[in-house]
Amino acid sequence: MSDAQNPEPELGEAIAEMGAETLYWCMQCGLCTGGCPWRLTDGDINKEFNARKLQHQGQLGLEGYESDNNLFACTTCGLCVARCPRDVNAIDNIRSIRMMLAEGGTVPQSYRPIVGSLTDNGNPWMETRDKRTAWIKDLDVPTYTEDTEYLLYVCCTSCYDARSQKIARAVATLLNKAGVSWGIIGEEESCCGESIRKIGQEELFTTLAEGNIELFKSKGVKKIITTSPHCLYTFANEYPELGGEFEVQHYTQLLAALIRDGKLKMDKDLDLTVAFHDPCYLGRHCDIYQDPREVLAALPGTRVMEMTRNRESSICCGGGGGRVWMETPPGERFGDLRVNDALAHDASVLVTTCPYCTIMMEASVLGLDKDEEIAVKDVAELLVDALA
Amino acid sequence: MEHKLGVYICTGCGIGDAIDIEAVAKIATDDVKAALCKNHECLCSEEGHAFVQADIDGEGLDVVALAACSMREKQAELTWGDTWVERINYREQLAWCHEPNDEDTQWLAEDYIRMLGARLGVTSKPVPHIEEMSDRVLVVGGGITGMNAALFAAKAGKEVVIVEKEDALGGFLKRVHKRFPVLPPYEELEDNDIASTVEAVADHDKITVYLSSTIGKIDGAPGNFDVTVDGAGASEKVGSIVMAAGFTPYDASKLTHLGYGEVKDVVTSVELEDMASEGKLVRPSDEGDLDTVVFIQCAGSRDADHLPYCSTTCCSVSLKQTQYIADANDEAKTYVLYKDMRTPGQWETFYQQVQKQGTIFVKSEIKSVVAGDDGGAVVTIEDVLLGEDVEIECDLVVLAVGQVPACKSEQLLKLGYRQGPELPSMDAKLEVKSDDDEEAEVVDRKDEVTGGFPNSHFICFPYETRRTGIYAAGPVRQPMDIASAVDDAAGAAFKAIKSVALMSEGKSVHPRVGDMSWPDFALQRCTQCKRCTEECPFGALDEDEKGTPKPNPTRCRRCGICMGACPERIVGFADYSVQSINSMIKGIYVAEEWEEKPAVLCLVCENDAYPALDMAGTARMKYSPFVRFVTMRCLGGLNLQWIADAMAKGFDGVLLLGCKAGDDYQCHFIQGSELAQTRLSKVQETLDRLMLESERVAFHEIEIDNFGAVPGIIDDFMEKLEALGPNPFKD
Amino acid sequence: MSQSKATLVVGGGMSGISTALELSELGRPVILVEKSPFIGGKVATFNKYFPKLCPPTCGLEINYKRLRKAANLSLHTQAQVTKVDGGPGDYTVTIEVAPRYVNHKCTACGECAEACGSERDDDFNQGMAKTKAIYLAGHMAYPHRYVLDKEACDEADLPKIKDACKYGAVDLDETPQTLTEQVGAIVWATGWESYDVSKVDYLGKGELPDVITNLQMERLADPSGPTGGKILRPSDGKEVESVAFVQCAGSRDINHLPYCSGICCLASLKQICYVREAAPNAKVYMFHIDVRAGKYEEFYAKIQADEAVEIIKGKVASIFPEGEGLRLQVENIESGESLKVDLDMIVLATGIVPNTADLPFEATMDDYGFLMLGDAPGIIPAGCVRRPADVATVVQDATGAAMRTLTQE
Repeated sequence: MSDAQNPEPELGEAIAEMGAETLYWCMQCGLCTGGCPWRLTDGDINKEFNARKLQHQGQLGLEGYESDNNLFACTTCGLCVARCPRDVNAIDNIRSIRMMLAEGGTVPQSYRPIVGSLTDNGNPWMETRDKRTAWIKDLDVPTYTEDTEYLLYVCCTSCYDARSQKIARAVATLLNKAGVSWGIIGEEESCCGESIRKIGQEELFTTLAEGNIELFKSKGVKKIITTSPHCLYTFANEYPELGGEFEVQHYTQLLAALIRDGKLKMDKDLDLTVAFHDPCYLGRHCDIYQDPREVLAALPGTRVMEMTRNRESSICCGGGGGRVWMETPPGERFGDLRVNDALAHDASVLVTTCPYCTIMMEASVLGLDKDEEIAVKDVAELLVDALA
Repeated sequence: MEHKLGVYICTGCGIGDAIDIEAVAKIATDDVKAALCKNHECLCSEEGHAFVQADIDGEGLDVVALAACSMREKQAELTWGDTWVERINYREQLAWCHEPNDEDTQWLAEDYIRMLGARLGVTSKPVPHIEEMSDRVLVVGGGITGMNAALFAAKAGKEVVIVEKEDALGGFLKRVHKRFPVLPPYEELEDNDIASTVEAVADHDKITVYLSSTIGKIDGAPGNFDVTVDGAGASEKVGSIVMAAGFTPYDASKLTHLGYGEVKDVVTSVELEDMASEGKLVRPSDEGDLDTVVFIQCAGSRDADHLPYCSTTCCSVSLKQTQYIADANDEAKTYVLYKDMRTPGQWETFYQQVQKQGTIFVKSEIKSVVAGDDGGAVVTIEDVLLGEDVEIECDLVVLAVGQVPACKSEQLLKLGYRQGPELPSMDAKLEVKSDDDEEAEVVDRKDEVTGGFPNSHFICFPYETRRTGIYAAGPVRQPMDIASAVDDAAGAAFKAIKSVALMSEGKSVHPRVGDMSWPDFALQRCTQCKRCTEECPFGALDEDEKGTPKPNPTRCRRCGICMGACPERIVGFADYSVQSINSMIKGIYVAEEWEEKPAVLCLVCENDAYPALDMAGTARMKYSPFVRFVTMRCLGGLNLQWIADAMAKGFDGVLLLGCKAGDDYQCHFIQGSELAQTRLSKVQETLDRLMLESERVAFHEIEIDNFGAVPGIIDDFMEKLEALGPNPFKD
Repeated sequence: MSQSKATLVVGGGMSGISTALELSELGRPVILVEKSPFIGGKVATFNKYFPKLCPPTCGLEINYKRLRKAANLSLHTQAQVTKVDGGPGDYTVTIEVAPRYVNHKCTACGECAEACGSERDDDFNQGMAKTKAIYLAGHMAYPHRYVLDKEACDEADLPKIKDACKYGAVDLDETPQTLTEQVGAIVWATGWESYDVSKVDYLGKGELPDVITNLQMERLADPSGPTGGKILRPSDGKEVESVAFVQCAGSRDINHLPYCSGICCLASLKQICYVREAAPNAKVYMFHIDVRAGKYEEFYAKIQADEAVEIIKGKVASIFPEGEGLRLQVENIESGESLKVDLDMIVLATGIVPNTADLPFEATMDDYGFLMLGDAPGIIPAGCVRRPADVATVVQDATGAAMRTLTQE
């Protein structure tokens, strides 16, 4: 009997107050856990992380789920949220539990430097602010002014990570080519805060978001183009309640419109078979499936394969929810599944349109030793390749 | 009986191509002495109809026999006013399943004519038994079910008598504070408006209510029940009865393992309802606040040691009760501990709603319920969702207890029926007789209380109990919620009304709706063996002091089980009797031994074997032509004399095709198939006496949808008989 | 209470048949209208009922017997009620009758079907077989009269069919008819259809042939069905060695049917018995959220005790092809394990959607489309249009509906 746990329902109520509005709605059917991409891997995380159980423990105010492999395993891919028969938002619930722990000072080891970097320099890459525009190199990148139509908000990843910078440059090139009125703000920008919010750092998120909102407003920003679906998500869904109402779109949406209007045309025949991966934050979270496909369809000589688990059923790359900053052991990586999916369709390029997806899937390509067979590219990069 | 018989052979649908019509006609006119035998290429057509009508008018025929398609086909077309029509199956059971133009098929065709003739000689058109009847309805129980049954019957123009044991109408519902939602959007509790129903009953001039009263006795039979009302000292005459005596909550004193009786702050769901009604939602021990309340589902239900069944409503009742707790204290925390949450249909929405308000649902096994140190209770569970034990401290534990039908513990009807005073339940089985020579055991059931829910063919005919004219409704019939009980009341009231309407015309009520025959007993030959009075599944027969059966025609369902039971063969219907079947057996031509043609008598249940044979024929499946089908209303009417006579006459075997017996019985007369099979097991003695093998007599259970198996069953039987060799009694 | 006006009963399934018979036997005239060529509704397609595992044909035979004798009951098949005017006690209804192309002279001898070369999808057998273009639905088809699906029939076959009939029953020129009837009461018993489970994208999207619905399993298990009662995989005709029943397939789900259909757990338990009998060596699974076995606990307990059957709490999260067979993923909640189960066949326990779209009268229904008493004043709903229910309940309901026609003011 002494082994029995004692529920602390007030804790459950507190978690609900923090944002887990749907915590009690769960009827414990197990669909979330059964369909979770962690079930497709074989390792410790698969055994430990159980979204259903976690939420039940949350309801009862019990503990025992705090580990990196459990509470912090969730990549917030949204598959469970899309399917839940009771409309339980497991992401909000897990995030709220993480928030509760963060308030008590619990932060996974891997995240501590990230939190520090964001607090000090407004980016999660342990770099200084002044390096935020280093990706530009010798590209013609306008500065945003009051007369500029679009603010291009480049994801921190593509600002600082060498590989990912190519994506930023590709997007910039395309915008220039299409004659779009666009510009960046640069060093004053901070990280959008999407992922840090997901790991429970609510206060930090609010600080970053409010900072950005004030900055954008002061610059007269009305329309934003993002390179990352994560930034898109938070600007469109989370910034408004903090006072930031902007017209936001992902760059593929704009490109699709430009292509339709004849303002952007790709002439080079790439003669490629590519497999398109729907990023969770573009697809499930923002309901954008068609635009990137339209853009790819405009590439001459490019066969775009639909993988079996596509669109609403797309499998997460494993980078969301903060996990891009956490090490996932080989053999347990979602990215591996995606790479194999693409190879099964005889694709030589796995194309996507999210910087986290690119990082995660490239790591998998290398980890699986398939770099001779397949490359990971962003949509923008392929378009640039196809420009005459 | 003398008849002026016209035989008509339809030559359509391949019949004309299968047999020698002339030869058949000869049998009809010469052997059977039909007034005429004609044929027509399509009897079911307008021309065919006129063809026969002309003879009915011109020749004064009183019986018309059609050797055509199955009796299940073309009934509307093959009717000529009130003329008695006999159907001989020359299509599905002859032309479509046997070799055309074959001597054995021909022989079968001719035998059926002979059988018809023989039967007509000993049968007549039934004259209905008409009695003066009351169409008043007795409703036992004045709860929501009984009141609604009464209102429905009264609104339909019938006088109703309600007998209620408490001093006010309303039954269990008087204790219900609010109801769980049955109206969209299924989110809010609904008011319990029992008062307006009580008022409507009180106001209705066709309804008489006896309060603080119970049934003293009910004598008589449907149409003429004489009811004594104890408490009121009254007597009433009614035609039919709706038994709506409701339920009692399961006795929680047996639930000590869940803390009841041992821990003060453990109550039942019913007690909680009382607390809510009285506005006293506090701890029983010290009137402290209810900050944490734990509901334990299936308390004494779905449990072999208590109530083995699920009462279907307790999940929704607990959901409702969490709202009582929340309404009294919006800070309260409630837990529902369940095995399965059972909220079917739109009740699922209410479940969802209650979840949204913060109640925690845990699938769990209860390990213990003990008193808390400071009052309240501590419930320890194995939380199945976690795979770990959890200990919950709470102020109150509510045990969701199930429904026990009132008939489980009290006598409600006190029928003066020889077989017992109450409606037989599914638990109670009739005893079947012992050996031929012994007198039947007398089973005194006068004080019997039934085992539980009244037995009925509950899937397709949910209202039919084993007592004609008496219908159970509401939770006494099966566990149910309030809305379902109201629906149930409507149906039972209808059945009560319809039963009297049919009986007053001398017609059977169910399942042989409209049958105007009734069993006649030649009592001067009765030996008081009591088989019929015991075996009748419907208690249709009472007994006098000597044990002589006293038939009650309105109770009767016309199955003929009594006819089969009687060793002296004194029971028969005008159109269906031991003699009528016997005559058919005698009418069949059994070939002499040297002809090497087997003869098999096959008794066929009209309700499933006959249709199965029709379907086998429609599918053009072939089988042995040496089998002669005799259709029975129920194989329970099997009289062993037929087997003795058939064997003595030289039949090689007797096959019975009927429905499934046992717990999942299919017999529309409850035990017909079982009785037939039991009687058959006694036929061994007869066969031994005749020095015949027991395999010559067999029973096979048939299901209509498995008609494809029937030809195989028949042919396998024929093969077995072939291996045994011909019956040495053949000429 | 009008004595002479008929009652209109719309829907010839178990509810409609029961109401019609009860009223007719009480001496009330009844008009029974059924949209398809045959009555019997969904139950006529079931192999057995729970919990007795008895065939529906048993009860239907009694009912059809009663129907044949019913004196004042007119049955219209191929008929739909398109207009309802008036109110309780005095309605004028318009009934549109589509041509059957086979008249009352039909003797059901079957010569027409012999002569017909064209085929159609057999809806009675849930699309798992074909019938001729002129057909009877099942062996208990009532009325026992053929019907021609003219659109499915080749032009060239039409004269062959006509000539094959010796009784002049094939009438290729039959035209649609419109009937107008005065009735005193209306009982609406139009039954249900299965939820289109292909909408649940993680359960195979309706693209996998060996993932079938519960209605299809009834047909497989029926000894007079398309496989003679053998549980065979639609893809390759192989006898199953492993079958899983997936409960709440599109039910209790806000994204599909939010309500519970109440009978699918019992239906699956029943179907488990089918598999155990027809394929005794097969391994059987049932995956559920809660097992809603209602009043039939003993029935459930018996199956729980069967060692070849694993009943597992966990909602199935995905189904996909794996090799020659199927694979299913689910969390076994009680053990905490994640299961990948390889199977020959999966049966999706799909829910009940009431047939209440396009009602010819005003009605305020609940969000799910169920028509309740009082939703359309004067119209008495019976059966599954009111709420999901099993056969015993719809017969109870239908009997009550008969009562209500007598007592409604």
